[in-house]
Amino acid sequence: MVEPMNKVKVAVVGAGAAGISASIEAARAGAKVVLIDENERPGGQLFKQIHKFFGSEAHRAGIRGIQIGTDLLEQAKEAGVQIRLNTVVYGLFAEKCLGLMCGDHTEELQADVIILATGASENTLAFPGWTLPGVMGAGAAQTLINIHRTLPGDRVLMVGAGNVGLIVSYQLLQAGAEVVASVEGLPYIGGYGVHASKIRRAGVPILLSHTVLRAEGHESVERAVISQVDKNWVPLQGTEKTLEIDTLCLAVGLSPLAELAWMAGCQFIHISPMGGWIPVHDENMQTTLPGIYVAGDLTGIEEASTAMEEGRLAGLAAAEALGCLSFEEGAMKKAEVRERLETLRIGSFGKGRSLAKKQILESRGTV
Amino acid sequence: MRVGDHPILGKVEWGKKVTMIVDGHPVEALEGEPIATALLAAGRRVFRYTTKLNEPRGVFCALGRCTDCVMVVDGQPNVRTCVTPVRDGMVIETQVGLGQWCYSKKADKKDG
Amino acid sequence: MTDKDVIICRCEEVTRGEIEEAIRLGLTTMNEVKRLTRAGLGLCQGKTCSRLVSDILARETNRPLQDVKPSTCRPPTRVMPIGVLASLPSDSE
Repeated sequence: MVEPMNKVKVAVVGAGAAGISASIEAARAGAKVVLIDENERPGGQLFKQIHKFFGSEAHRAGIRGIQIGTDLLEQAKEAGVQIRLNTVVYGLFAEKCLGLMCGDHTEELQADVIILATGASENTLAFPGWTLPGVMGAGAAQTLINIHRTLPGDRVLMVGAGNVGLIVSYQLLQAGAEVVASVEGLPYIGGYGVHASKIRRAGVPILLSHTVLRAEGHESVERAVISQVDKNWVPLQGTEKTLEIDTLCLAVGLSPLAELAWMAGCQFIHISPMGGWIPVHDENMQTTLPGIYVAGDLTGIEEASTAMEEGRLAGLAAAEALGCLSFEEGAMKKAEVRERLETLRIGSFGKGRSLAKKQILESRGTV
Repeated sequence: MRVGDHPILGKVEWGKKVTMIVDGHPVEALEGEPIATALLAAGRRVFRYTTKLNEPRGVFCALGRCTDCVMVVDGQPNVRTCVTPVRDGMVIETQVGLGQWCYSKKADKKDG
Repeated sequence: MTDKDVIICRCEEVTRGEIEEAIRLGLTTMNEVKRLTRAGLGLCQGKTCSRLVSDILARETNRPLQDVKPSTCRPPTRVMPIGVLASLPSDSE
């Protein structure tokens, strides 16, 4: 017997900052929302962020990611969002039909609107010895120490001095590990100065124009060899140094997790500074496929604050498309969100992202 | 090593202690935590050996995406230990290559 | 160990040298590289190596990254036992 398909107005894939925010807005407008996440707990990256956020008061400045995550979840539950955890969206099929894998069986869920908020994953760097146990992503180390309260090792080399590399270095110190050094191939630090100062004050040298040549060890990492590089990242002879470590963390950028958007047939644009392949979307966060929206790091690597706002925007647009929000109310609320997004994309760090976002909007129909 | 006390997160309320059997030896773990963290806490970093080159692998992404941390769990190979919670009495074995499926064990489970 | 021996696809243990050699046979797309070398066909289905492979492909064929489309993405997005795919919700009750 064929089982009848479950239907829902709004299906949000990914219960991170963007996904929870989107589901709150859509549910508050009156739509029936199902929020799906493959993990056993929601929150995405938020619960790994134990440091205080920056930004304005509207953006929860001074509040730790874990608190924001908890607050968002409360709001989602209050708004009546149905949260399904341990559920993998294994496919996005025709007519906005999602294939769900729930433990020991599969289901199908037909949605009127889908919001993809699947976030991003860590990039990797390949070098001799990188497959040895003890070499892992910086985010992996962060998950282990902040969520599972277990250190991956005691002596860490951090590769990459962008925000993730700097923040995780500090969090490793807080967890009781020694960060032997941070190496960055560029001649400048990619992350915020305040993070860099914190780890420098704690005695961690940040070696610019340096890279890791190889990791060595019998069954797991025991040493790493680093060296200085020129502006073309070519190692300089005679500058090799061996560091005794047991853990090597790679903080070399993030890329959007866009499998479902590719599968559905959305149009994409390649923008390296935003993480690579980005699903093209309009000012309502709708992709080139009607009824499929995107939000958060999936649409370009930024921060939790922009993810939350984009999520809100997608949720509002979805509610409006379904008729749950009047045109006037929708326009007003979306304008507020867009204004906040603009204030988040300013300054030396934000300008580049603002330009990239404009590029995405302009590429529709041309790519 | 466990991070029992933390400047931001505070002291941990460790949960219920359970025992898993790792390659025949009992190893203490916390109920519900990922198998991988229990192994790391016990000082174990090599989880499997690869098919072609017989090289050691362990935790890499800690999120369930890279599949480097897979081991044979209760007779079933290719189980991602970083996202699979520990249960009391779980049998964990170092996976060699693609592992071997124990059909008899699975059949017992279904009938039992 | 030289640069050529560095593993690129961790799941299938495909080295940089093997990928470069395959591309020099005349391959131009990620799908072709995947099929000939098996890089991206392992348990993680290219989640870890696809960026590394596309970097190599772009460099070897002298093209910018935006001209190298990723390999075709098909369901399932995660490892899925056939028994699970075949089971309906009522089976688990």
